[in-house]
Amino acid sequence: MTHALAEPDDAPTPDRARVERPDSVAAAAALLRDSRGTVLLRGGGTQLDWGGLATDPDLVVDTSELAGVLTHNPADMTASVRAGTRLTDLQDHLAGDNQWLALDPPTATRGATVGGLLAAGDSGPSRLRYGGLRDLVIGVTLVLADGTVARSGGHVIKNVAGYDLAKLVHGSLGSLALVAEVVVRLHPRPAVSLTVAGPADAAQATAAALALAASPLEPAAVEWVGGADFGTLYVREDGSAAYVETAAARTIQLLHTLGVAAHTLPPDEAGGAWYDHAAAVIGATDETVLRVSSRPSELASLVRHAAEAARASGVSLHVVSSAGLGLHTFRLRGSEPAGHAQAMTATRDHAVSGGASVLLRQRPPEVNELVDALGPPPSTAALLGQVKAQFDPAGRLAPGRFTPWY
Amino acid sequence: MATKQTDLLAAPAADDPGGVTTALAKLLRRGLSQDRVITDVTRLRTYECDGITGYRVVPALVALPQSTAEVALTVAACADAGVPFVARGAGTGLSGGALPVADGVVISLARMRRILDIDLPNQRMTVEPGVTNADISIAVAAHDLYFAPDPSSQTVCTIGGNIAENSGGAHCMKYGFTTNHVYAMELVLPDASVVTVGGDGIETVGPDLRGAVIGSEGTLAIATSVTVRLLRKPEAVRTLVANFSSPAAAGEAVSGIIAAGIIPAAVEMLDALAIKACEAAVHAGYSLHTAAALVVELDGPASECDEGFAQVQEICRAAGTTGIRIAADPSERMLIWKGRKAAFAAMGRISPDYYVQDGVIPRTRLGEVLARMQQMAEDSGLRVANVFHAGDGNLHPLVLYNAAVEGESERGEHLSTAIAELCVEMGGSITGEHGVGTDKACSMPKMFSEDDLAVMKRLRAAFDPDGICNPGKIFPTPRLCGERPGPYRVHPLEAAGLIDRM
Repeated sequence: MTHALAEPDDAPTPDRARVERPDSVAAAAALLRDSRGTVLLRGGGTQLDWGGLATDPDLVVDTSELAGVLTHNPADMTASVRAGTRLTDLQDHLAGDNQWLALDPPTATRGATVGGLLAAGDSGPSRLRYGGLRDLVIGVTLVLADGTVARSGGHVIKNVAGYDLAKLVHGSLGSLALVAEVVVRLHPRPAVSLTVAGPADAAQATAAALALAASPLEPAAVEWVGGADFGTLYVREDGSAAYVETAAARTIQLLHTLGVAAHTLPPDEAGGAWYDHAAAVIGATDETVLRVSSRPSELASLVRHAAEAARASGVSLHVVSSAGLGLHTFRLRGSEPAGHAQAMTATRDHAVSGGASVLLRQRPPEVNELVDALGPPPSTAALLGQVKAQFDPAGRLAPGRFTPWY
Repeated sequence: MATKQTDLLAAPAADDPGGVTTALAKLLRRGLSQDRVITDVTRLRTYECDGITGYRVVPALVALPQSTAEVALTVAACADAGVPFVARGAGTGLSGGALPVADGVVISLARMRRILDIDLPNQRMTVEPGVTNADISIAVAAHDLYFAPDPSSQTVCTIGGNIAENSGGAHCMKYGFTTNHVYAMELVLPDASVVTVGGDGIETVGPDLRGAVIGSEGTLAIATSVTVRLLRKPEAVRTLVANFSSPAAAGEAVSGIIAAGIIPAAVEMLDALAIKACEAAVHAGYSLHTAAALVVELDGPASECDEGFAQVQEICRAAGTTGIRIAADPSERMLIWKGRKAAFAAMGRISPDYYVQDGVIPRTRLGEVLARMQQMAEDSGLRVANVFHAGDGNLHPLVLYNAAVEGESERGEHLSTAIAELCVEMGGSITGEHGVGTDKACSMPKMFSEDDLAVMKRLRAAFDPDGICNPGKIFPTPRLCGERPGPYRVHPLEAAGLIDRM
C-alpha cells in the first residue's frame, strides 16, 4: 500500500453508469422523473465512501453543472447557492463583503460542494463556535427520486414554518433526495485568527478541552492531532486584533495549569498546521478512517482503546480530534487488510457500547470485503426505513449506503 | 432497540366515540392510576386551549403519564383504538399547536418533571419533558452554566414544548434556537415504539431525525426525555437602550451594527405605541417622547464585549440616536428587559383587545414593511403597535381592536393575517417562533407549494401513517380553513402575571 492522498478524481464512476450533469433544478427534476433504475448523487466526490458503499448505479447525477451563487445579501447575512457550488468558490464570492459561511470542513480543500457537505453532514474545527451545516442552513430545495421538487425553510434566519427538511437530509449521504439548492446564514469573517499550540497527550487534550469549555473563554476551535501517547493541541481564537491577543494569553495561562506548555504560532506556521490538520482528517487512500462522535470527556479513553486494538491488530493509529466537540477521526494504517478490519471493528464496538456514534468514512477495497460497514443498527432503523420508503419508495437512491439498516 | 407496546386489550369499536372513550378510560385507568386519567368535563375544560385562547376544543380524555412506559402505554391505547392524541406541556404555545382534537386524548407531560442526569464536565443535562425551560438553567446556575433558548414564557413553558416549537427567544440571533441546543431525545412514536434520536455526540450516523422532530409541533412523536446542551455563562453582559426619531433610523443602526461584524446577543426594537403600553404597565424607564427605542445587548469575554459595546454606541450616534441609556448594573438590565418583555401583556393598557402576530422579514426590508403595515392599518381603521427582534427580522406587530365594536374583531383578524402574508411577500416567513399550529395552517400555501407540503406530509406519514399524532396542525385542511378563530382572550397564566407574550 502507498500513502497517496485521496483526490476527488479518485471518486468511483462505475463504467456502465450513465453520467448526467443537470444545470438547473428543473433539469434535475426532469432527469429523475424520466429515468428508471438506481442513482448515485455526486457533488465533489469527496465523501462517496462514507457509510456503506453504494452498489454500481445505473445513473450518476453529477451536480458540477448545478453550480453558482444565486443570491448574496450581505446586510441580511444570507446567501443561496446551487448545491453543486464548491464551498471554496462560495467563500471566495463572500470574501469581498468580508463574510463567510462559517464552515471549514477538510474536504473543502478537495472540492467538496455545499450540497454534498449537507448530505454528508460534514464540518470542521469551527463547528465549535459557529455550529455545523445543520445549524447554518436556513432553506433547502430537494429533488426526490420521482422528480418531485420540494422546498423547506426560506431566506430568513428565524423561521419555524413547516418541517425542516434540511435537517432530514443532513447525514443522509444521498439516500433520501438530491440537494439542489441551499440557503445559508453567514457570519462576518474574523478580523484576525490566532492559533495557540502545545504538546499534549490524549489525556491532557481531554482535560484542556473540558477546562476551556468551563472557562469564560470562547475559542473558535479546540483540536488535537496525535496518537497513542503523544500529540499536539491547537486552540484557535477568532476576533479583533486586541481581543485575540488577550484570549491567546489567557488560553496559554489556562493550558499551563494543565501542564501543557503552549505558545502562539506565527501566522505562516499556523497556516501550515491547519493545512496539515485538514489532510490528517481526510487520510490516505490506503487507510481505514473512522469518525467517532462522543461526549468530549471520552477522548482519552477512546484513544487508549483504539490504540490497544490497533496494536493487537498490527496497524498504527493516527487521531485528529475536535476535542471541544467530541468528534474524533481515527485513521488506521498498515499493510494487512485483516488488521484494519479487526482494529476498526474492535474500536467501533467499544465506542458504540459507550454511547458514541461511529461512521466508517473510508477503507481500502480489500478491507471493505472484511467488514460490516455500518455496525449495529440504531433504535431508529425501522423508522429510517419508513422515511426512506416515503421519500424514495422505489429504492433508487444510493442503494446499499445504509444496508442493512434501511 | 425499538420496543413496541402491544400488550393491551383489543380496541373498542371506532364508530361510537362515547363508547370508545369509556373503553379507553377503563384501559388507561388500569395502566396509569385512577386519578391520572381525566374524563370529568369540568376538569377537561382546563385543557381546551393553549396560549391562543380563541381556539377551544374540549378533549374526550386527558392522561397524565409519569414515565416513558406510561406515555407509550397511552399512545398504544390510542393507536389501537384509532383515537387521535395531542401532547401538551404547559399550554403556553401561541399558535394553537396544543389545541385538543374533539373526541381525542390529551397527553399532558406535566407530571414528568424530573431532572434525570446532569453531566457538568460535558455541559449537558437530561430531563423529562415537563421540566420548565427556566428550571434547567436554575439547576446549574451555581456552576455558571445555562440553557440558551429563552422564550418569554420560560418560567412556565416546558422543554417538551420548546422541542415541539423549536423555541427561540430574545437571544437567538447569536445563540440559535432549541434545535441548536439538543443532543438527544427519547421519543415515543405514534405506533408506541420507543426510539432514541441524536446521541452522546453531536454527529449521528444517518439522517438527522432529531433535527426533523424538533419544531414539528408535536405532529411526529412525543419526547419523553431530552438531553440539552448547556453553555458557560458569558463573562460579561452589556446592555443599552438607544432612542431614535423613527423606526427606520433605528433600523439603520441595526444594519450598521451587523455591517461592523458585531453579532449582538440581542437587538430589540419597540415603537412609540409599544413603549407607551410598556411604560404604563412596568415603568422600566423607556422614554415616552421617542418614536423608536432599540435595546442592544452584547455578551462574551469581557475584552471582546467592551470593544464591541463601544462600537455599538458609535454606530447608534452615527445613525442619529437622540439618547443612549446604558444599564449601570444587572438590576437596571433586568428592568430594561422587564419593560421589553411586558410589551404584549401591556397592550391591555392601551387597547381592550389585540392580536399578536409573529412574522419574519429579511431585516433590510424593515422600512418598506413598516410603511406598508402603517398603510394597511390606516386602511383598516386600526392601530398596530410594533415590538420586534430586530436583529433577525422577527416582527411582532400587535393589532389593536375593540371586540365590542361591530366588525373590528374581523377587521383585526384580517389585518393580522395580511401582515403575516406580507412577510412572505417580502421574502420572509409567516412565523419566526410561535409556530404554525392551528392558527396559521391556512397561510401555509402562501409560503409553500402543494409539492412542498406534500413532501412534508411524506415525512409525517413515515412517523405517523394513521395521522393520529396531533392531527389538524401545520397543514391546511378545508374544514379548518373554512372556520374562524374567536378573538384573543387573556390566558389565565398571563392574567396571573406568570407569563408574557413575545
